[in-house]
This record gives sequence, structure tokens and C-alpha cells, in this order.
Amino acid sequence: MSDAPRVGGTPGGGDASGGGAGPGPRGDWVAWLERRLNLTETFSFLTHFGLVWTPVDTSRPVREVVREVASQPVPAYARWPRVLGLLAAILFGLEVVTGVLLAYYYRPTPEAAFESTRTIVRDLPFGWFIHQLHGWGAWLLVIVVAARLLRLFWDGLYRAPREVLWWSAVAMAWLVLQSDFTGRLLTWDSRSYWAAVRGMEVVFALPVVGPLLAFLLGGRVINDDVLIRFYALHMLVLPAGFAFFLYLTFATLRRVGLSPEAPMHRGAATTLRDHLYSMLILSVLLFGVLTTLAVLAPFRFQAAADPYSTPTGVRPPWYMLAPYAVIENGPGPSWLLGLLLLAVAFAVLLLPLWAPRAAGGRALGRMRLWGLCALAAWTALSVLGAFMERR
Amino acid sequence: MPQGVEPQQPPQDPTGAAGVPPTSRRRFLAWLSRAFLGLWGLGAAGAIGAYLRPPEHGPRIAERIVRVGLLEDLRIGEARLVRHGVTPFYVVRLDAGRVVALSAVCTHVRCILGFDRERRALTCPCHDGRFDLAGQVLSGPPPRALPSYTVSVRAGEVFVQL
Amino acid sequence: MRRAPFVLLLLSAATAALAQPGSQRPATSPPPTASAAAGRCGVCHPSERVQFERSTHAQEEVRCVSCHGGDDRSLAQAVAHGAGFLGRPRRDDVPRLCSSCHSDEGKMRAYNLPVDQYALYQTSGHGRRLAKGDMQVAVCSDCHGAHDILPRSDPASRVFPLNIPRTCGRCHGGNASAAGRRGKPDDHREYLSSVHAHELFDRGNPRAPTCVSCHGVHGAAPPTVGDVDKVCGHCHTAERRYFTAGPHREGMIAAGLPECVSCHGHHDTSATQPQRLASLCATCHGGKSKQVTLGAKMWTEYQAAATQIEQAAALIERADAVPIQTDDYRARLEEARTYLREALPAAHAVHEETVTGLTTRARSVGAEVASEIYGNLGHLQSRKLVLVVFWFYVLLTVVVLRRFQSRAARKD
Repeated sequence: MSDAPRVGGTPGGGDASGGGAGPGPRGDWVAWLERRLNLTETFSFLTHFGLVWTPVDTSRPVREVVREVASQPVPAYARWPRVLGLLAAILFGLEVVTGVLLAYYYRPTPEAAFESTRTIVRDLPFGWFIHQLHGWGAWLLVIVVAARLLRLFWDGLYRAPREVLWWSAVAMAWLVLQSDFTGRLLTWDSRSYWAAVRGMEVVFALPVVGPLLAFLLGGRVINDDVLIRFYALHMLVLPAGFAFFLYLTFATLRRVGLSPEAPMHRGAATTLRDHLYSMLILSVLLFGVLTTLAVLAPFRFQAAADPYSTPTGVRPPWYMLAPYAVIENGPGPSWLLGLLLLAVAFAVLLLPLWAPRAAGGRALGRMRLWGLCALAAWTALSVLGAFMERR
Repeated sequence: MPQGVEPQQPPQDPTGAAGVPPTSRRRFLAWLSRAFLGLWGLGAAGAIGAYLRPPEHGPRIAERIVRVGLLEDLRIGEARLVRHGVTPFYVVRLDAGRVVALSAVCTHVRCILGFDRERRALTCPCHDGRFDLAGQVLSGPPPRALPSYTVSVRAGEVFVQL
Repeated sequence: MRRAPFVLLLLSAATAALAQPGSQRPATSPPPTASAAAGRCGVCHPSERVQFERSTHAQEEVRCVSCHGGDDRSLAQAVAHGAGFLGRPRRDDVPRLCSSCHSDEGKMRAYNLPVDQYALYQTSGHGRRLAKGDMQVAVCSDCHGAHDILPRSDPASRVFPLNIPRTCGRCHGGNASAAGRRGKPDDHREYLSSVHAHELFDRGNPRAPTCVSCHGVHGAAPPTVGDVDKVCGHCHTAERRYFTAGPHREGMIAAGLPECVSCHGHHDTSATQPQRLASLCATCHGGKSKQVTLGAKMWTEYQAAATQIEQAAALIERADAVPIQTDDYRARLEEARTYLREALPAAHAVHEETVTGLTTRARSVGAEVASEIYGNLGHLQSRKLVLVVFWFYVLLTVVVLRRFQSRAARKD
């Protein structure tokens, strides 16, 4: 998609197209290339990854097609509340770029993980910035994905025919949380190591799921085998899954739209060209916010992990505080509580099945009430988890 | 970009009072804005380039092999204290060919040792612990021998592997 | 014979034990009636025999009769306790009895043992009192055991370093009758509260000083005034070097004060307490004297340097959390700590420049490290300035993009 604005914004009438004319006075590289490649076909492939969905006549020159597409009306995705999905996509792109840069120096072995991270952060120019961007980007991504889930729930966008939209949103939230969890271990500092150990203790204690996960992760002990699998999950498997569900979201949006109940009011529709400018502005502002966070509130660099000494006050990341509170304080054995929480998490996927089919406002209101109760309970448990003493 | 509608106007024509100056100013402004946006790309390229520059070029402090200096600069029976990060060590030339490297940190309470040339021993200023040039405890409170490091002489230069 | 059934029982038990295929220690299970070392004495003295056969003497061909006389080949008491029988040696005979072998160069050469113990013993407090007829003082067997003598290297031995305080404490401790009689303080308990005992027992360092390290082994006697600093200086060489260089040694000997222990305590020597520089001088010197002022000044100097080093260490922690490269700072702080530690033995010279020279160096290195880290952390502040400029740039970019956007909208 990033090619689109440049191509779309390039001046020049239809006369430069067609393939017959020679390069213009400024060297018309599009025409030059079009004589050698079917650019239109490439462009029609690219539209799958964006918000454009029109049948493209691949025999027409690319400039005409692009101009036409760029002027087509699209919903204003850079406006609240639709912006959440766009933000998730932009942040994901940022995570990919910074992640690739970090992977150039990172070494996933227990001996070198901490050292290489420290080299990146301490000794390489801009290494600290890339690392902080990656960390704060992940933090924002978790928030954005969770907020998006709430907004979809609030507007009842899980009901038919938007089940796929809901499922992808839930799956993306899961994948983001998993990426965050696996990414935390990679720095191999004392806090991340012990957070992973404590987290895995709970997970491995679950019946059926625990042994299965232990098998997938290469053992019950957090060691070099587990580290390299976390690494592979973090940088290959989970991002690939996230990209897949991102694509699925676009695909289902093209078919069913985002919110037909609320008709497009003034300012809710725009052209693609306009939308792309909005997206650029949004990206620049987001980058500014992330830079500010990285400079003013950098993540503190911890000491190297020592498997033989547990630091005090190890808590799970903020989004896992509620399950932590339940498992530590709830009645019954921890594996049962863990299983229960897991069941609840999967039940969220099934929301479309027991949601009332009718679009009646009353049923939606009741669901909203339930949702509010659940959110309040979650917040209360998180606060409890943040302040309670470990048993 | 969008001002490509008036490419026919001759650039730099200050004579036209009404039509031409706004056009050239416009073009200049457009050029300026594009250059301004280009700075983003330049900045990103610069930062990423600096980040990706192979790190071998810079001095690496965490290096495990330390170059001490020329062998001929070390006199026989003389010790040199090399401050290297958190592991200061002594390099002592025993005779024409043999050079030893010993940690300069006392094993008792981590005082930095001094070199006693007459006794050919390392002595601790804090509690009078003494070590011989093999690192063994001669007297005093140190509980363990000093760690010693591998020394190699290549092309007249002394290297110590930590 | 009342003992005949018992002997039979023992015999059958012994054969049963020997017959067992897994029997590990046939040498210690009682052989029939006679053993190599104990002869037939053990038949009537089984508990002594058990003790004796574990001892190092039994392994080195010393027999019962070597000390007790008599005949160990006979079971008849009249013959066994017959000619040349000594019975239980008198306490004041024990040292001479032991020395009959242990002062014999010919016999001891093979074991590489010294032969001067008896001579030393006679010079010791124990030996001199024994010569005066005090039968309560320690003789060889009180420390080494009678039948169950083990080499010093054996952890079960009473003279193994870790067991020495208890061995001596049997008489020189609170529950010993001797201590009550002499009205002395409980030396054993005092020792147990000392830093030496902490090193010996809690950290398991067998080289830590026990009773004998200061009082002597066989020639045990309390060090006298004038000798105390030599005894302590055996290990605390640096302290003694500074102490003898200072005015205290001469003055204390002249005043009849024992050197080190007057300040550090006899047996309850505590770990280093630099703050006592400020308080302890006043116990001998007048409250307003210049010596007290000097002590207070040394303590102030020491404290200032220690505070400076702590501050620098805290800054290093802060720099590590950023992170900033701190290896060099750590090494230099170690150097500063070396000066500070050296200041403690140097304080024994009670010479102002000696101490302040070291503390000033420690302090200046610490201050240097601290200021350099401050400088580096200050560089981080410049990031915030850059951030302001950056935001101007971001907002300008947004304005430019908005302009392009509105142009594009007008075109559509």
C-alpha cells in the first residue's frame, strides 16, 4: 500500500500511458516499467492488503486504475472509533521493522541473550531508541487491541454476519499477548526470566494443556531450549499469525463492512487518497508519541537473570494481573482455576453463538451490561493483583 | 506534487508582477515541503545506518582478548598493572620468554594488589596478603589462589586472554 | 567366672558378624579373646578396648602394656596385673609417661612428629602448676584423650581446630569447676562471641584462630604485655606494622596495658568497627584531649570517604539501569575501596596524615567516578531537549501533510 500514494499522486495525464510513448522529458519510469511488467496486476494484488476492493481490469494501464481507485469513496478509517484497527496495523508494522533491526544483533542463547541485548541498548548508536520503540510499541499494541475488542463488543459487532471479524479480533488480541509474553523472556534479565518462570509454572500445572504446551515449548524448565522456541514463536510464528488475521479482517470487512447499522454520516466517508494522507499523519503522530514515551519514560534495564536467586516482587505484566489474582487467591487448586480462566477466554470466541440474532437494541443493551460487569470485575481483580502480597 | 499543473511557466522570472511570482514561490514552497518530508527518510536512513554499521570498527570494551603492548617494553622482573574493565590484572615478565598474567584483585576482600619487586610477590595493602608469581597464597588471609590468565606473545606483542 | 557367658556371647556374635558376606570392617569387630593391639586386656576391659582400637596408637603398634605395664597374654588377673604392672598412671606422671616415647627422636622420626612437646609443656602454665603439685591442671590426656587418641587432622579428634575451643572450654569455660574456683570470666563463651569464632564455626575456615593460635599449644601461657602485639601481629601483619610505627606500643607497655586487647577485647574480639575510632579514645585519654579529637577526626574522614564511595556505587546502579557502560567505573571504585580498607590498619598508627592520605585518595576517586557518571547521566537530559525540537518537526510535518491532503481533496 505504501506505493499507492506516490503512484497515485504522480501527475501526468492518460497520454503517458498505453505503452507506446517513449520516456517523457523527466524520464517517465512508470511507462518504462509498464512496457515490461503488468503493473496493474501487481496493484490488484496489493489491494488485498488494504481497504480497496474493486474489481480491477488488469488490461488497463496502472495510472488510470490507480487514479480511479484513489478517488473512490471509502469509510473514514482514520476517525474514531474505527481508528483502533488502523492503529493496530500501523503498530504491527512498526514492531516488524524495529524487530528486524533488533534481530540483527540479538542472539537467542542463555549465555548471549542478555549480553547481546545490552550491546544493542548500551553500545550501538540508536540501539536504545529502537529497543524502546519496540517495547513501547508492544505496550501500546496491547492497549489498542484490547480497546478494539471492547469497542467491537460495545457495538455488537460480533453478531452475524460479523463472526469472522470478532474471531479475528480475539485471535489478534491473543497473539499480541503471546508475543508480549514471549518477547519479555528474550532479554533474559532477572525480571523477565522470573516472570516467565512463574507464568509457566501456572500454565504447566494445567491438565492436558500443560503437558501439551511443555511439549511445544521444549520442556518445563526455562532453559536454552525454551529460549530459542520463544524466539522462533516471537519472531516467526506469532507475527505470521497476526498478519494472517489482519488479512482476514480486511477480507471480511470488504464483504460485510464494519457498521452498517450506523449509516455513514457527514465526514464518515472519504476518498482513498485522503485516507492515505490521514494514515500518514496518524503514523507521524504515533511515532512522536512513542518517541516521547521512549525518552521520558524509558523501560529500566534490569540485571542479568540468575536462575539461582529469585528477586522479590516479581509480578506478571499488567494485563495478566487479574488472572494472577484469581489463581493466587481463588478457592480451589490453581490448576482448576487456570483451566476455568482458559475456558472463559475461549468462551469469548463463542460470543456470536449465544448472542441474540435480532438486532434489537434491548438485547444489545443487556449484553453491554454483562460486558460492563465483566470489565469491572477484571479491573477490580487487576487492582487486587497489583497490590496483593504473594502467598 | 499536486502543483504539476503549471510546469510550462519559466522558472525564475521576477518581471511578471501578478502571475509569475506566486507560481515560483509556490514551486519553491512545494519543493521545500517535499525536501522537508524527505528529511524523515534521511533521518531514518542515517539512524538505521549508524545502528547497522558492523560493530567491529569501534573499540569494543567487552573484548575478551586484551592487547597489553610490546614484549620488549616489559622489563624482566617488572610488572605492569593493566586496568581492563572490572578485571584489572598484572602482567609480569619472568625472564626472556616467559610472561604471566595474574588477576590484581585480592581474593580476600577484593583490594587491588601491589607488586613487590624485591620479593617478586604481589602484596595486598589492606591486610598484607601475599601471593607468589604463580598466584599461590604465600601468607595472610586470602582464602584462594589468584586466578591467572593465558598469555600469548605474537609478533612481539603480548596478548592476554581473560 | 561371671564373665564366661558374656564372652561366649561375644564370641558367637563376632563369628556371626565375620560370617556375614557383606561385613565391611572385620578389623574392628572383636576377634576372639586376643587382638593385635589390646591383647587379652579387652576381655575384661571391653569399653577401653573399643576406644583404644579406634585410636591412632592402636594402628601404630602401641599396646596396652606400653603404658599400663603387666602382661596382656594372660586372662588370669594375677598374671595380667602381675610383674611391672603400673595400673592407672597418676596425673602428674602422665606427661613423663607420654614423653617416654614422644620425646624420643628415634621413635618419632618416622612419624615426622616434633619431640619438644614435653619440654614445652614444662614451660607452660599447665606444666609449672603441675610441678607445684596442682593436680587439677591439664595434662596430655585431658586434651588428647587417654585411650582414644586421634591425629589432629581427624575431625573427630579433640584437637582438630574446630574442636579446640570446646576442649579448652571444658576447664576454661563457665561450667568448669576450675573457672568457678579461680573466679575468672567465662573465656570459652567470650571466644564464641568473637569474630574469630564466627570465622571458624560459621564460615568453616579451619585456619581461623582458636585458643592455641594465641596461647601456644603445649607451651600454653597467656601472652604478656609487650608480647600481645607480636601474637596478634602474626596474622594481622599490616595492623602491627602501623601499630609499632605509632606511639601506642611504647606508651601502653610503659603503662602496663596489654597492647591490642585493651581496645579490641581479649577473647570476644569483634569484627572491624571503624566508628569506635570516635568513641574508644576517651576511655584512656581525657574527654577533651587532642587524642580524642584526632580519633573523631579520623572517623569523620573515614565516614566521608565511605559515604562518597557508597554514593558513587548507587550512581553506578543508576547508570546500569539506563544502561551506560560502567565497567571502568566499577574498577576505579574498587581502587577507592582498596584505599578505604587500607585506612583501617593505617589508623593503628594514630597519625593523622597516614589515615587522611588514604581516605582522601579514596574520597577523590569516588568523587571523580560520581561526577563522571553525573556527566553521562546529564547527556541523557539532552535527549529531552532534542525531544522538544523533534516535536516541532513532527507538528510541522503534520501541517505539511494536511496541506497536501487538502490540495488533493480540492482536486477530487
